[in-house]
Amino acid sequence: MKTIALYSIKGGVGKTAAAVNLSYLSSLLSPPTLICDLDPQGASSYYFRITASKKYNSDKFLKGNKKIYQHIKATDFENLDLLPSDFSYRNLDIELSEEKKPQKRLKKNMAELSEDYRFVFIDCPPNLTLLSESVFAASDVVMVPLIPTTLSIRTYIQLKDFFEANKLDSSKIRPFFTMVEKKKKLHCDIIDEYRNAPGFLSQTIPYNSEVEKMGIYRAPLNAVLPNSLASKAYRNLWDELREHLERSK
Amino acid sequence: MLSTPKTVYLKLIQAACNESLPEQILSSGWQLKASSSWIERREFYDTFEWQAFEKEVVIVKKKRTLFLADLNTGDEKASLPFHGSPCSFFSDTLPSCSLKTELSSLSDIRAFIKLCSIDAIITSYRILDDNEKTIAILTSESLYLAGRENPETFAHLFSLSPFKGYEDDMELIKKSLLCNDDNVCSIVDFRELFKLIMNAAGRNTQDYSSKIQLELDANAPVHDSARRLLQFTFSVMRANEEGIKKNIDSEFLHDYRVAIRRTRSILKQLKGVFDAEESTYYLNLFRDLGKRTNELRDRDVYLLRQATYFHYLPPFLQPSLKLFFNEMAVSRKRLHKQFCRYLASSQYQAFLEEWDAFATEQSIPHPELSPNASLSTRDMALNTINKAWKKVIRHGRQVSHETTDRELHALRIDCKKLRYLLEFFSSIFPQKSVAPVIRQLKELQENLGDFVDFSVQLHFLHERLTAITPGKEENLLAASMGGLMATLFQKQEKARRTFHKTFSTFDDKKTSQLFHDLLTSIIQ
Repeated sequence: MKTIALYSIKGGVGKTAAAVNLSYLSSLLSPPTLICDLDPQGASSYYFRITASKKYNSDKFLKGNKKIYQHIKATDFENLDLLPSDFSYRNLDIELSEEKKPQKRLKKNMAELSEDYRFVFIDCPPNLTLLSESVFAASDVVMVPLIPTTLSIRTYIQLKDFFEANKLDSSKIRPFFTMVEKKKKLHCDIIDEYRNAPGFLSQTIPYNSEVEKMGIYRAPLNAVLPNSLASKAYRNLWDELREHLERSK
Repeated sequence: MLSTPKTVYLKLIQAACNESLPEQILSSGWQLKASSSWIERREFYDTFEWQAFEKEVVIVKKKRTLFLADLNTGDEKASLPFHGSPCSFFSDTLPSCSLKTELSSLSDIRAFIKLCSIDAIITSYRILDDNEKTIAILTSESLYLAGRENPETFAHLFSLSPFKGYEDDMELIKKSLLCNDDNVCSIVDFRELFKLIMNAAGRNTQDYSSKIQLELDANAPVHDSARRLLQFTFSVMRANEEGIKKNIDSEFLHDYRVAIRRTRSILKQLKGVFDAEESTYYLNLFRDLGKRTNELRDRDVYLLRQATYFHYLPPFLQPSLKLFFNEMAVSRKRLHKQFCRYLASSQYQAFLEEWDAFATEQSIPHPELSPNASLSTRDMALNTINKAWKKVIRHGRQVSHETTDRELHALRIDCKKLRYLLEFFSSIFPQKSVAPVIRQLKELQENLGDFVDFSVQLHFLHERLTAITPGKEENLLAASMGGLMATLFQKQEKARRTFHKTFSTFDDKKTSQLFHDLLTSIIQ
């Protein structure tokens, strides 16, 4: 099983869109896949029309095993399941800090799913907390969507510094550019600058109004409009990621 | 591990079939969205003895795939791409895969026969919640027997397959389907569904077994019990004729022959139960009938042993043995045709009618002609089993140190007689008391059976060897037959050497106590 986190300190960078579309693509090509929505805003869950049952909360998430199993739900797409987010996840950090080995907690819970899934995608909340650290430890790859702007690049550098300061494996970080507008010179310049930077994935995701409409379709863009520009870009991104994962086996 | 939600099958009550649209039976609160409709052909397979059903699995071909499913849940256990629609097939013709392993473990010598074909007109619906999220798939199926001129629906079904994580909603949906005003549905399990399909196709599950499954009355006159046994063996013969004619697998002829031997054993061992003259007359007819099948059965046995024989030889001698098996296959074809002609003959028909009348005859013959006919079944069982057992012990103890072929051949027949008697009368003994006795006997029978089998094979091969004409192919055949005979001889000698040890295990206090307990268990 490979665990892939979609992470960004900054919100609104296309993190959820990437998590939803990449998990959908992986479920088609290398099933089965689980998408784990850790963001209390629950955008991934919303895209798949899934709400957590009333009995589910952050406490159960941290307990893992059966408590998680009971709350995994099938999406409308074969071989793609989702562990929905719950609003109580906003307290995950506090609860996690009370655990004995908070950084390892998530890794342990994820390992229990290894018999059932080939890929697990984690849609992370936009902050840098104890939960993020736990996600970094549990993931094989930390995909970081970046809008090609200076502020975005700054958050990436902050993340790298954080990894180094906390002696985390920074080779897990795989940034890629999203919401790219070719008309904007700044976007092109930044992409050019980082084209060959270590760890960067070469595929970029264009700014596409269809991606925004996912909130209306409430389904992965790749399932609804597989021929849109963004869908094609996600497909290429998934190919690139899969190749990377196979090489690093 | 994650558990997959179970599919629930619901059967529509016939009268309500016309209003079977799911919209009408699902109460409000959910939306239904028809997603697709199609016709699916399903072909069910099992062996003549229902070996798959017995092991609680179902073999079905649909969508160009052969599936093995759990009989109770319908869950798929293995599958394999499968083209065509054969009337029967053997597991060893399938490519290596888990399905082949599963089917071979059910039976590697019996053919899997097509039991029936049905067409299902399927409409699939998605059940949506208020977020328009699919929470289950509801399929409506109308089942027809395929290939009929005027197909009529024999069942309307719904299957409800919940999505993972929506089990709670499913309980509500199930309730809604079951508790609507018209009460049109009832839950059925997959086993019931399977039986429903079989019954519609005119098949009864487990309608055949060569094992004697009669419940005899210990107090009834043995004449009645013997006639019931004869009727049973006769029904086994008749049941196997079709399979022999259609050349489906070798077990049809095997069971047919066992039924003949059992018939002869009843006539011969239950002395004084029938008119001696009549018994002799029928014994001769059955002996002749058995003889007609001997050579055909021999060919079957050799062809079944093909892989084993190849295994006995070094690889460079194996190809030349093919000639022998080709000969076996050719002569088998001829003998099969010959026997089928006999089965279709008026002579055989007349024999069947005559025998049927004898086997179903109710009145007890005159005491002078059949002095033991009125004895109770219990007394006859006690007497004959006791005698047959003592005979096995006596003859076994007499077997010389050299253990000659003749001695072992004779003892094998004694054992067989005892085995048949135990099987005939097993129902009058307390439940499960005969099985341990048979287990003890079985070990001895296996030893003797091996010995005699090797001896018969050696004799057969030797005869073929003497008929060999010099030539390149024949010379190579002679070499491989020589190699084969050397191995068979070693095996025969091994069986001979182990005889005394095997017999002493049978002729011990434990077995003696088992027989004693068995026989005293029915003395009143």
